[in-house]
Order: sequence, then C-alpha cells, then structure tokens
Amino acid sequence: MKVSDNSYIKGLTMGGFGMGALTSVVDVKDGKIVRTRPLPFDTAYSPDYYKPWTIKARGSEFKAATKTDIPPFAYIYKKRAYSRNRIPYPMKRIDWDPNGERHPETRGISKYERISWDEATDIIASEIKRVHEEYGPMSILAQGDGHGETKVIHASHSCQMGLLALMGGFTLQARNPDSWEGWYWGAKHVWGGDSHGQGIIGNLLMDIPQNSDMLLHWGCDVETTTWGWLGQINSRWCFWLTELGIKQIFISPDLNYSGAVHCDRWIPVRPNTDSALQLAIAYVWITENSYDKEYVDSHCVGFDWEEYYITGREDGVPKTPEWAEEICGVPARTIRALARYWAKHNVSIGHCNGGSLIRSTYSTEPGRLEVLLMAMQGLGKPGRNVMKFIEWGLYGDPNMCPNPRSEMYMTPAAAYQGFNWNKPEIYDIRWRHIPKTRVPDAILGHYTKENPLTWMGVGIAGWPRVDQFNEYQYPNFMTGEQIHMIWSDCPCWTTCWNGGNKFIEALRDNSIEFVLVQHPWMENDCLLADIILPISTKFETKDIAVDCQNGNYNMMYIEPQCIEPRGEAKSDWEAVCEVAKKLGLYEEYTKGNSVDDWIKVGFDGSGIGERISFEEFKEKGYFIVPTQDGWKDGPRGFEAFCKDPDAAPLETPTGKIEIYSQAIAEAFPDDDERPPYPKYKAYGRLKESLFHPRAQEYPFLLVSNHPRWRVHANMDDISWFREIETCKVIGPDGYAYEPIWVNPVDAERLGLQHGDVAKLYNERGAVLGGVYVTERIMPGILYQDHGARLDPIVNGEFDRGGANNLIAPNEVASINTSAEVTSGFLVNIEKVDVFQLAEQYPEAFSRTYSADEGVDIGNWIVEEA
Amino acid sequence: MKVFVFDAAKCNGCYGCQLACKDEHAGNDWSPIAAPQPDTGHFWCKMVEKTHGQTPKVRIEYTPHFCNHCDNAPCIEAAPEAVYRREDGLIIIDPEAAKGNRALVDSCPYGAIYWNDELELPQKCTGCAHLVDEGMLPHCVDVCTTGALRFGEEEEFAREIAEAEVMGDPKLGPRVYYLNRPKLFISGEVWDPVPNDIIENATVTLTSSTGAVMSTQTDFLGDFWFRRLEPGRYTLDIKAEGYKPVTQTVELEDSLNVGDYPLEKL
Repeated sequence: MKVSDNSYIKGLTMGGFGMGALTSVVDVKDGKIVRTRPLPFDTAYSPDYYKPWTIKARGSEFKAATKTDIPPFAYIYKKRAYSRNRIPYPMKRIDWDPNGERHPETRGISKYERISWDEATDIIASEIKRVHEEYGPMSILAQGDGHGETKVIHASHSCQMGLLALMGGFTLQARNPDSWEGWYWGAKHVWGGDSHGQGIIGNLLMDIPQNSDMLLHWGCDVETTTWGWLGQINSRWCFWLTELGIKQIFISPDLNYSGAVHCDRWIPVRPNTDSALQLAIAYVWITENSYDKEYVDSHCVGFDWEEYYITGREDGVPKTPEWAEEICGVPARTIRALARYWAKHNVSIGHCNGGSLIRSTYSTEPGRLEVLLMAMQGLGKPGRNVMKFIEWGLYGDPNMCPNPRSEMYMTPAAAYQGFNWNKPEIYDIRWRHIPKTRVPDAILGHYTKENPLTWMGVGIAGWPRVDQFNEYQYPNFMTGEQIHMIWSDCPCWTTCWNGGNKFIEALRDNSIEFVLVQHPWMENDCLLADIILPISTKFETKDIAVDCQNGNYNMMYIEPQCIEPRGEAKSDWEAVCEVAKKLGLYEEYTKGNSVDDWIKVGFDGSGIGERISFEEFKEKGYFIVPTQDGWKDGPRGFEAFCKDPDAAPLETPTGKIEIYSQAIAEAFPDDDERPPYPKYKAYGRLKESLFHPRAQEYPFLLVSNHPRWRVHANMDDISWFREIETCKVIGPDGYAYEPIWVNPVDAERLGLQHGDVAKLYNERGAVLGGVYVTERIMPGILYQDHGARLDPIVNGEFDRGGANNLIAPNEVASINTSAEVTSGFLVNIEKVDVFQLAEQYPEAFSRTYSADEGVDIGNWIVEEA
Repeated sequence: MKVFVFDAAKCNGCYGCQLACKDEHAGNDWSPIAAPQPDTGHFWCKMVEKTHGQTPKVRIEYTPHFCNHCDNAPCIEAAPEAVYRREDGLIIIDPEAAKGNRALVDSCPYGAIYWNDELELPQKCTGCAHLVDEGMLPHCVDVCTTGALRFGEEEEFAREIAEAEVMGDPKLGPRVYYLNRPKLFISGEVWDPVPNDIIENATVTLTSSTGAVMSTQTDFLGDFWFRRLEPGRYTLDIKAEGYKPVTQTVELEDSLNVGDYPLEKL
C-alpha cells in the first residue's frame, strides 16, 4: 500500500528566530499531511561519513541516536496547520475606524469582520505614514521576539522591523531573558558568561556519567522544557545515569515530569525560597569545615563577605538549616544530610531554564548562590559542573556543547528575514527600546522625555554583562516620541509575560491608536488587535533551515512546501512584503530576491558549500556534519578555569568567581534586592511571600512552569493533547479547564474534589482551572502551567482559560533588572459553580466551544451577510 | 510472528506512542487494513498513568496498552468473517466486513476495540500493518526515542519474553510483553530528633506474610525503599545501633510513604 506520496524534511521546533531543531520527516499523501516521523540520519549519508559517536563511562556506553529523537510536539504539529482556529483571512475589528472612532476601550471585546489583503495593507500603509507624520517613527512599538515557529526566510519574528527600519526606525520591545532571569541578571555577575550567564557546559554529557555521584535537577524539567527546542536525547541520557547508579535528586515545589520517572528522591522546596536552602547548605559546609577552601582562595573573590553574612555575624541571623526549614519547607535534617553528602561526593547541577527557581521574585539571588555552592565544592573539578539541557551549540561555541561536537556549526543567517537587533551598526536599539516586562508601565505611565521611565540594561539575551550598568529611558531623550501604534508577530504577551491584565489595560489606553497583529491562529493577544493578518504555518512554505541543537549531528536542509496555504494565509515575511508593496518599498525590502534566491543566499552564507554543492544539497535533501575528531579532548565544563584560573579567566572583571561584585557595589550601592553578594530576601517592594501580610488573604504560592503540553502559549488547541489527563480537566459544563495541582492535604482542608472547577485569584484578577488533586505538589503550594489560551470572562480581570500570567505581578523581579516574576506568586483558591458563573456572565459562557479544541474562532468573527 | 515488547524501566511517559497512533490513523484511511480513526475518543494505543506514593516519595508509572494480538483471539471467535490473523500474527478487523458489528467491541476482554460512530465500525490497533508491509515500524514504535517500546519477530526477543509479563489472560496468548513493571513500593525515613539528623545505615527489614524477608540500609537522606512489592501484609523492622528498634505492620494496598521514624536513643 502506498503510505505516502512524498516525504519532506522540516524542523518543527518552536525556537523562533532561525535556530532550528526537531528535524522531522513529513509524509504527504493526496495533498494532506498523513504523518510526521523521525529522520534516520543515514537516509542519504553513510555513518562512515558522519562518524557516529559513543560516550563511555563505568563500563557502559551511550551512543548517538540513529534517527532524530523528536518529541510529541513534532508529530502532532500538523494539527496546528489544520486547526479550526486558523485565521482564515485578513480581519478588522468592527468598531475600529481609522478614519473615525477607534474605540480602544473595546479591544478584547469587539468582534472582527473580513477584509481583503488589499484593503488591509492599504490601511496599514496609511496608518504607518500617519503615525510617522503625527508622532514620528519611534511611536511604533514592534513586538517580534519569540515563541513562534522556527523559520528563516519566512521568519516568525521581526520581519516588520526590517521594513520599519527602512522608514526611519521603530521602538523595539526588548525581550527579557524570560526563562533564565536569575542567571542572566545574577549568575552572570559571578561567573561571567555573556550570552545567558548559565555557565560553561562543554562535554558535560561525558563528564557527569564518568565522574559525578549525583545530579541535582534543581527547578528543572528535562522531560518537558526540552521538547520545544531540542528533542529527547536527554531523556535517554537520564535513564543512562540511573543505569550507572548516579543519583538524581529533584529539588522543586512540584514533582515535575522528569522527577516522575528519573528521580531517586524529590526534595520539595517552597517557591521563591531556594536561596534560603542554598544558604543553609553553605552554612553546614562553613561550620563543618567541609568546603574547598583552597579553591575558594585561588578561584574566588569576596567569599569573606558571604561567610560573614551566612554565619550571622552581619545581621545576627545564622543561616542554619533550622532557619532555612522555616522558610523553604525542607526539613533541617534533610538539608544537613544533603550538604554532608555533597561535601564528600562529586555533585553536578542540571538545568533547562524555567521553573520557580529562576523566574520568581529576586531571582538573581538563587542564580548567584548556586555559583557560590558550586565554587565552594570546586566548580570545574571532574563531576562538579552545571549542566544545561537545552540551547546547545549556541554560537558554535564548544563551551556550549555538552554533547560530542560536530565539525561545523553553520547557520543560514544570511537568508534570515527577521531583524538582527544585536547589530548597532545597522540599527542601534539602545535608545529605541522598551524592556518587554515594562511595556504596560511605559504605555500607562504616559511618560515624557522630561519625566521618563528609566531602567538598567537593554536586557536581551546575548547582551554583555556590562550593559546592565547602563541606564536607558522611554521616551527617547531627544525626540520624546511616545507609543501610538503596535505591530506584533508574537501575540502572547498576555499569557506568557508578567501581569497580562495590565497589558490588556495598556492596549485599551486611549494613546494606542492602532494595534496590528499577524499570526496563524486566533488566540491570546490577537483578541486585542484592530487588524489581524492570517499567517501560514511552516508546512505551507518553502524555506531553508538548520538543526545544530539536537545533540546527535548537525544538519542543514531545504524545507520544501508540504501543503497549500490555508485560506488566505501568507508567511510572516510575505505579509510584510505585501505592506512593503503599498509603501513602495518592496524591492528595497526584498532586495529583489525570491524565496529560491534567498535559499541560495542562505546556502552560500552558511559555509557548507565547501563540503557539498548546491545541487547535491538539493538532491540529498539535507546536509549532515560529521562528528569532530578529538571531541573527547575538549574541556569539560569549567575544567580549564578550575585547572588554571589565570590562564583561563572567566568573563568577570577580575576573571575570578566574584562572590562579591565590586561592579554591582559601585553601580548600585543602595540596592538591597541585588546587593554586591547574594542574600535571602522574603519580600519588600515585591510582596509575594508566605511571610508577607498579603498571605493572609492569598495564602498559596502558585508555581507555574513551562507547560507540559504546550510550548508557552502554542498548541493549546491540540485535541490529542487535551485528551491526556494532565493536559486538561473537564468541568461539569464540558469545558476543558487548565489543571490546578492541589495536594490532597490542602484539597481536604479546602473541600476541593478532583475535577472541581476553582478560581485562582489575587488583587490583580482571577483565572479558572480544573482541580487536579495530586501528590506531585507539596502542601501549601499550588501549581498550574503557564500559557493556557486566553478566554476572557471579564476582559482584563477574569479569565476562563486559565492564563495565570494575567495575574502575575507586573513589577520586575529585582529593581535594577527587567526580569519577570511569572512563577511563585500569591493567590487564593476557591471552588466555583460554573453554572452560576454562566448565569452571571452569559456572553462569555455562551461562546461556542469544543473540549477538543477550545473556543471556536467563529465567536470572534461577524459572519458576512 | 510479530510481538510488541514494552520496558517500563525505559518509559519517560511522553505519551508518544498514544499520540503517534493518532498521527497515523486519525483522519487517515489505510483501508483495507484500517479505516480512519476518529479524531478523539479512540485509544488504539492507550497510555495509562498511575501515581505511586505520597509526597515526597512519589513516582509515576506509565503503561501503554494495545490490542494484544492474541494467539487465541476472542474477537476472531466472535466474528470469524470480519476479523483475521495475518501470517505475521497481527490481527486485523476488516473494515468492510465488520461494518455495523457493534458486538465485536464487547468481545475483547481488554477493551481494546473501539466503536466508530460515524463509520459504524469496530476498530483497534493494527500493529500499523500497512507500514509493516512497507518495511517500516509501527508509528508508535518508530517515535519511541528511549527504546521503551519495541516491535519485531518473537525470536529476536526470546530472552526478554522469558522474563516478561503479559497483561491479560495467558491462555489467550497475548503478544504484547511487559518488562520491569514497578509494582508497589514502601518507603520511609529514619532520623534522630536529637540532634535532628537523619540516621544513615539503619537496617530496615521487611517481612511478607508468606515469610519472605527483604533487608536494606537507610541511605544518605535516611531513606529506605523496598520496590517491586506485591500487595499484602508486611512487617517492618527498623534497627539502628544505639537506638530502640521499631516494628510496624503495614497493609500494602498501594505504594506507600510510611512516613518518618524518629528513633529513641537507648
């Protein structure tokens, strides 16, 4: 039987930008995608050529996979192409009239009507010109920064910036390091590392199995967070650690999906309190004389300050395990036992972004204290490193490759049509940006150049540590242009950032005259747009792509078009091209290149032409890079620094591990949130602690990780996921609610039953969820994934979908950063009667809906006569 | 003859097998092997998850269930004109001949046959016979990245099959084999309230009602674990040098965190 007509290679990651992964084979039959499967590496090349690698440890072997180890997100992704929520054609909000009343106050409430591409692009072009004339180019805020499909020519993000840059510029929404805040704003000052601040991870896939006795998965979920970006190689690797007898300990408020299958012991810790636990571990080592003094002397600066604080000489409070137990909930005896084991064994820590550890209040402190602990036990010695399970191979830097390296780390960047905002020579964003976390504040504050909003550091991934000492402002100090138009290609601010309800309020402000969104699906911030452009999924376009992140072998390929575009959809780039045409900038914007031209440009710029001709590349369908000979000899983690800190200094001012940061001390002498050396802080400006009086009214801390069955806000409408019990809880009204994990002890006390519908709320609003009673969350703490699709009951106040970022604090995590707080904030929980709510809010509850795919797009469209 | 072999010790619970089944069959017509599966509600491969234990001693067990492709298949007996066994052992419900035969759903003792309302068809796992015929793996097996789920000739797996369990009546000859099922655990923690420290290397003995004795030492966190237990009545003895011993009876119905034991000094 013919099981497919054609097979195409696609990278199905959600990395955004041009950095691909999840290389898959998409089988098409009769014009329809029938299945998605792993790509066997030997499809067009012999293993003799690409040189399969093997890691050996303790008499056992771990081999590269024979085919891509793609996660479920890849082989369900076709559902997104065929989703009922695809935006079918350009739409305009019915009560938004660019020539009359604009009704900003009904954004999120009013419906949409069909318009043509011609009409839509006419309006967009004339609005851009009008805004430029009335206010100036920087009055357009461009949101184009993440959580979309990885595409190159058709780039999901920031194509609009390239066009706007041709017209005098724009204001950039500068995306904060939303999943690694504490390392970026904290650890970077201690151990350097100017991209992410997450340490040096070279060859750790080998070092840990060979040398570690224990791996601490600290606030980390390998079985979830890797799915959108890298694949499942780490899943196999963690099973291998178990086989080798290496203990895997999970420290987090929830027993996450990795802990569920890999853990030797779960140590539940309350959110926002990891720093207390870390300090107590250090206290045990200091008082029991069980840390590596020699290493601290030779590799660190300023340890005496920290020691003075930890032992209580500074504030009269010794940071004992008993002190920490009260705060973090881990029994003092467990803290001591862990500290004593750690002092005698080789212990590494594992991370894959996210988690309460690193995106909660004062997240710089656990980020910095982790480095302190590692330093006290000889960071970089065999088996003593910090492993990161995703974002491998960044910048082709061997220090970013925990896996056996490939000979080449190529990129099709030459063809990338998104905007490179890291090149000041092209467009200097330093005076033309607003940190993403501060956008609502910037809009609602009606700031002027005389009375501006100010912050420290651009705060984008990849920006150097020293930029965190620069002050910036909005509006621009010369022109004072305020934001009046927004053009977004990443419409998930509400459900992925800090305090979505405030963002909704900002978009309903009178100052915002035009909101333009381009997106494939009707979801989240789309509901706040004035014009929506229908965007294709990557199945519908031809592109070039790279996968240097899967951990097995690096690959580059042409991604052929698999299916016809749905409805009137165009790609992100094509949509911007349509606007460029109306502005007379098409030739300039495209540089006269077609998609095929750009593919050649990407190929030529990648350097793989030295190894394969373009013809052969096209014929084989992909290019695979052999494993680098001698990969085993590369440094392991911080090994080089460990062996000789003078010869291999860190990217800190002293080249050492700066437990005390002179730079922070000088720049921010009065900052008690990120003081020169790390401390524990319960609350202050931020009030998200069980010790704060607010906790009487909102007595639970809500943990909100990267979701299991979504990539952030993506894929909430996948019917096959929604059948899985940890994905949704079906309420008595048939609505699939976002699960809220409640420990049985709390459930009994609160009278909550599995399957009840409950409201999570605080003074910032409320969201609903389905009660999921489970032993996987510690008592006193609640858990709900972030990123559920917005379904407003009361716009800006009350949400049915369970998008809990709406009620996260809008304030930044530490005053001199732009870090977000999207996990570990106070809420209360209360059972609701959905039928009573349906009577109270008939409009919201009568939206046509299916448990399979959620709210129907039809609710938002006025049918044509 | 084809078999499926599932190793619980390698399953990461990604639900890949269940989802791949939908990718392969929902909305795709592979007649005459299988008509399209409905978008939701059918689980020709059904992942079942179970939470073991209590905070903080918790593990999740994931077990996929398939058609057992039984040697003595009750469905064939119920409708020999509509259900057949292929030479490779895979059992197929003929989508033409089985149309309207709702009774077939109940013939399966494992609930592996689902009723398709729209097509009026009983449907189930085909072992992706249409792919197998093309030299490919069943889609659920192809996507299993950890190697927990495998498929192939019985002889290839002979050694593992000898140690495996089946889910269901052995008399029916199920051809899906399960390795390393975790069964139940008992775990607890031993500590000394003065000076509030865990006790490592305490000897913990578990005696079953049949007299079988298991023994272990508490680990670096003072924990003891007894794994792969059958339900039943057990006696737990905790002994540590210099402390009064503790004895307790445990009725084990489900995996149990028996809690922590502060020992009294002698």
